[in-house]
Order: sequence, then structure tokens, then C-alpha cells
Amino acid sequence: MSLSMPLSSGPSAAQILLEALNSLRMLGRRSLLALLGIVMGSCSVVALLNIGGNAAAQSIAIFRNLGSDTLVLQLPPQPTGLDGLPLRLSVETLGRQTPAVASLSPVMTYGAAAIFNGRVGNANIIGADPALFEAARLNIASGRSLSEFDRKEAYAVIGASLAQALSLPDDPLQPGDQLRLQSYQFRVVGILQEGAPGMLLPFNANETLFIPMEGMTRINPVPQISHVVARANSAEEVIQAGEQLRQTLAQRIAGDAPVTLIFAQQILEGMQQQTRTFTYLLAALGVVSLIGGGVGVMNVMLMNVSERRREIGVRLALGARRRDIRNLFLVEAVALTSVGALLGAVLGMAGGWGYAQLSGWAFFLAPGALPLGIGSTVLVGLFFGLHPAIAASRLQPVEALRDE
Amino acid sequence: MDAGSGIGMLENNNEEQLIQLQHIGKHYRLADKTLHILGDVCLRIAHGESCAILGSSGSGKSTLLNVLGLLDLPDTGNYHLNGIDVAQASPDQLAALRNQLIGFVFQSFNLLPRLSALDNVALPLTYRGIAPRQAREQAHAMLVRVGLGERSEHRPASLSGGQRQRVAIARALVGKPALILADEPTGNLDASTAQEIMALLIELNREQGVTLIVVTHDPLIANRLARRVEVHQGLLREAGAA
Ligand SMILES: Nc1ncnc2c1ncn2[C@@H]1O[C@H](COP(=O)(O)OP(=O)(O)OP(=O)(O)O)[C@@H](O)[C@H]1O
Ligand SMILES: [Mg+2]
Repeated sequence: MSLSMPLSSGPSAAQILLEALNSLRMLGRRSLLALLGIVMGSCSVVALLNIGGNAAAQSIAIFRNLGSDTLVLQLPPQPTGLDGLPLRLSVETLGRQTPAVASLSPVMTYGAAAIFNGRVGNANIIGADPALFEAARLNIASGRSLSEFDRKEAYAVIGASLAQALSLPDDPLQPGDQLRLQSYQFRVVGILQEGAPGMLLPFNANETLFIPMEGMTRINPVPQISHVVARANSAEEVIQAGEQLRQTLAQRIAGDAPVTLIFAQQILEGMQQQTRTFTYLLAALGVVSLIGGGVGVMNVMLMNVSERRREIGVRLALGARRRDIRNLFLVEAVALTSVGALLGAVLGMAGGWGYAQLSGWAFFLAPGALPLGIGSTVLVGLFFGLHPAIAASRLQPVEALRDE
Repeated sequence: MDAGSGIGMLENNNEEQLIQLQHIGKHYRLADKTLHILGDVCLRIAHGESCAILGSSGSGKSTLLNVLGLLDLPDTGNYHLNGIDVAQASPDQLAALRNQLIGFVFQSFNLLPRLSALDNVALPLTYRGIAPRQAREQAHAMLVRVGLGERSEHRPASLSGGQRQRVAIARALVGKPALILADEPTGNLDASTAQEIMALLIELNREQGVTLIVVTHDPLIANRLARRVEVHQGLLREAGAA
């Protein structure tokens, strides 16, 4: 007697999908609630990955612009020296007492109008030692930097945006041109390269006019040192250098108002801390809503299966195998979650963009965010859809058909 | 493992009997009582035969038909379908046997309400891995054969009872099965529609040699078939013309 058994192959993937989408429409409002959880879950995961990616990129950018060896000391307001007069600092003496510091410069700040050929620009004026260019990594685009020999001169180096603002297409501001600050003429000797505004420095170099510290008295009768910008020998020595400078400065300032030390590392850590808290929050939200959404999907699918018992019986009678029934419901569960995952991904990207805007970062789409976010959500749908689908596939044909 | 196409394999036996039941028993356990529905049923049906199953309500006609149709497995006894021992078959193989050897016609039609008549008829073919276009072409041909060529895009809800049963018959036939199992196929239809449906089934049996087994209460219907058996107290006996 022949025992050869027939085997048939199932319907094509496209067919299964088409049927799934068709029956999803029938699920209607009931699936909306399940979708809500899925959307929130997918949204959180995508936003999380994006924000994480952007934060990492941002910290790399900070390091690149500034180097992790830069440090800034903020002096108390109107610092007075031990002699009772406004504080004066000698770069050479300070440098000798702080061996871990490679270069340093006091910084005086003032705001004044800069006038070039009748055009007025709002300039942030920094009086500094020539060593500032080295300490703060300011690079010259054209002309030259300020030097030791310029201390007594009315020379200036101008930031890129400020130079741009004072230029006209047919009359650009160039090294050698004269600028008027109040009643003094300053000669521009150099123009800086455009750089990303540092988060650490007490000024935005792009919008600043740098003049020798000695020249500050010409435009501000009582100039005061507000900061000291310095660079350590290496990134490893940045904390040591900061301590040395802070102690030395504290000794020279009358009173016991504190000198605050800021370095790049600190800012990065602050930023990372803030982002970390936020990503933990998002991760928790993502996990909770994905599980909630998954359970919702499971519920919808269980109801769906029990409402369609008779259909399952008919399909079995027509020759559907267990796996055909399982796939039928699994594809529906995945299709349902995919709709939610896509909606969530759009919201998540918007959220990531919003966070980047609020934090003042550049936004870009983190490469893994979409596939990982959508993928993990769909996996959740697959996982929670498995139980109803397998339950459906285990139905015996008679039992399923008997259901009225 | 999916690739085998089974019909050829199923026909390569020299068994002239399509159905061979030996000492089939089926019982249900309710609370702590055991209901013996089928006690010791023996039945042979040859290829191309037509047979009515009679019996009072609750006698076990549907239970027997479900066993014949591989929708239910017997508790005791042997069942050979087309020479194949059903007890040895895996669930997937049972599915393939249902798909390729058997066509079901139910009293309540059992069409899928969301699919058009055409897609309902094409469904068994898709479980055979036939491409949708081809499946729909064959389904359409079968709808034309049962006189519903014009209605192929209709949903079941917009068809009359007789039309629905025609669609169901087309669905049962589209896979070119060896056996049609019909459980009170005219039970939900008025007398004249019932006549038409029976005429269609009998014509298919005569012209295409499809084995036809019909469960019915109606002696007029039973008399139109070549053979009658009656389920009575768990046993099966041949019955003459009613
Ligand atoms: N799953 C089940 N559990 C318990 N008893 C069952 C089950 N299925 C069927 N029965 C019982 O088996 C008996 C036979 O049922 P079956 O449906 O085969 O009868 P039938 O001859 O088709 O009757 P009818 O003419 O009314 O359709 C009935 O008494 C029924 O109550
Ligand atoms: Mg019955």
C-alpha cells in the first residue's frame, strides 16, 4: 500500500500581507489603543537613539574646536590686587608659577561700536595678551596675529562675522584698514577664521575685536580683568594646571571671593549628565510603552482570533496548514505594529530635532536610530503576536468549525 | 519540504476503494460520562460512487463526515483514504490531503465574508502555492461552471442562499478533489433551490467521476444518490430506497 504523503506549499508572502492589511482595517478602533502604546514606544526609542547620537557628535565637536586642554578661570567681579588697586597680572610671572600651564592670557571685556568707513558694527572688545591666540586656539585667516611688539600699538585682530558685518561686497574690511572705536583709530592687522562658537570661552570669537590689554584704557578708563584663559601642557594635566592657576590667582586677589575654574571636560560632563538623565527617562518610557503596546497588540489579536474561529476552521478544512494559520495572524500583528512603529518614528525624529534645538546642537539623523527603533518595535509586535497566532494554529478543525 | 506537489503521488496506488473505514469508534467525554457516538463503523466507498448518509438527529452523521473529511480523528479503528493510513499522517500531511483530495460543502456555506466570491473560490489553490493570478483564473472558470461567472466580484453577503452554496461548491471543486463531502448542503435552502443544488452535485458526480457523500435528512435527496447508508446507535447499516 502506498504511503506517499502529499505536501503543499503555502500562499505567497504578498498574498499573506494583502490579506493582513485588509483584515486590519476591520479591526478598526479597537486597534487604535494598542497602537498608541506602540507609537509611544517607537517614538521614545527613535528619539533616544537620535539624541544619544547627536550628543556624542556634539561632544566630539567641542573637543575638536577647543581641545580638552583649554581651561578658563572666572575671577570675582571687580577684582582688586593686594595693593588695593584694580588687579594687574603679569603673564610671565604667572607662567613661572604654574608649570602645568603652557600658555595663558588675562581677558578684559568691553562692548563698543566699531566704525569702518561709516559702517557701524556692535563689537565685543577683548583686551588680552598676545598669548590668548595660542591659549584659546584662535586661528588667523588673513593678516597676522597680535605679537609682543604690539603691546603699545593701537592694533586689532577682528573676528570673522564682525569683519563680515563691517564689509560691503565692493569694500571689504582687510588687514591694514583703520577702524574707529570711540575716538581712537585702530589698525586691523589680522582677521580670524570663522569657528564654531565655543561653549567654554567667555566670548564668541567670531563677533569679537581683539586688542592688546594695554590699549584697553583708551576706550575703557577702568578696565577690569574678568577671566584668565589658559591651555595646559596636555589634556591629562588640565586639572593640575587649573589648580595651580586658581591658587596663584587667589593669592593675588584681595578678599576671599572665589575664583571659578571651568574646563572643557566639565562642560562635556555636564552635557553628558543632562543627556544621560534624559535618555534614561526615554529608555524607561520606551520600554514601558513598548510592553504596554505589545500587551495591547496581544489582546487585540486574541480577540481577533476568537472572533474568527470559524474562519480558521474553514481555512483548515480547505487545506491550510498550522503554519499558514500562524502566519496569517502573525503578519496581522506585525502589520499592526509596523503602522505604529512608522508613526512613532516620525514623532521620535521630531522629538530628537526639538531636543537638539533646545540644547543648541546641530541636528542630524543618527544612522542607527530609524532601523533600530522601527526594528525593535516590530520585534515587540512579533513577540506579542506569537502567542495569539500559535493559539490560533493549534485549533482543531472540528472545534473551530463547531463555533457558531 | 514544501515543494512536493501531491496529487500525482496520491493517485499512484492501485486501491480501487477511495474510502476504507474499519471498526471506527468515536466518543466524547462530557463531565464524567462517556458518550459513544460511533461504536464500530465499517464502510468502503469506491472511486466515483455517490452515497447518502442518513440517520436521526444526533445519531452521529456529522461526526462520521468529519472523520471522513480529516477534520477529526477517530478514537479507535483504521481509516485509509485513497490507500493512505490517516493515523500515520502528520498535521501538515492531513492539511495537504484535505487540500488536494477533499472538497467540503457545508450546510451554512462557510464562505469568508470579507473575500469576494472569486477569492473565496481561489482560497484552496493559494494553500497549494499556486500563484494568485493563476488561482483566480481557475476560480473564475469554476464560478462559470456553477453558473455564477457574472458574480465573481460579489461579497457573500450580496448573494442569495442558493448562490452562496454554488460558490461553496465551486470552492470545493476548484482543486479537482477526488471526494466531495456535503453535510446537509440544502438544509438552509428552499425546495426548488435545493433541487438545483442537488442536481449540480449529482451532475458533477456523473460527469466528472467525483465521489460524492451527502449527509441528509431528506429521503428525496437520498434517493437521488446511488447508495444509502444509515447511522443508527453507533453503527452503520446499508439502507434501501426510502
Ligand atoms: N464536542 C462534542 N462534545 C460532546 N458531544 C458532542 C460533541 N460533538 C458532538 N457531540 C454529540 O455527538 C452526537 C452526534 O452529533 P452529530 O453532530 O454527529 O449528530 P448528527 O447526526 O449530525 O445530527 P444532526 O442531524 O442534528 O446534525 C450528538 O449527540 C452531539 O451532542
Ligand atoms: Mg449534523
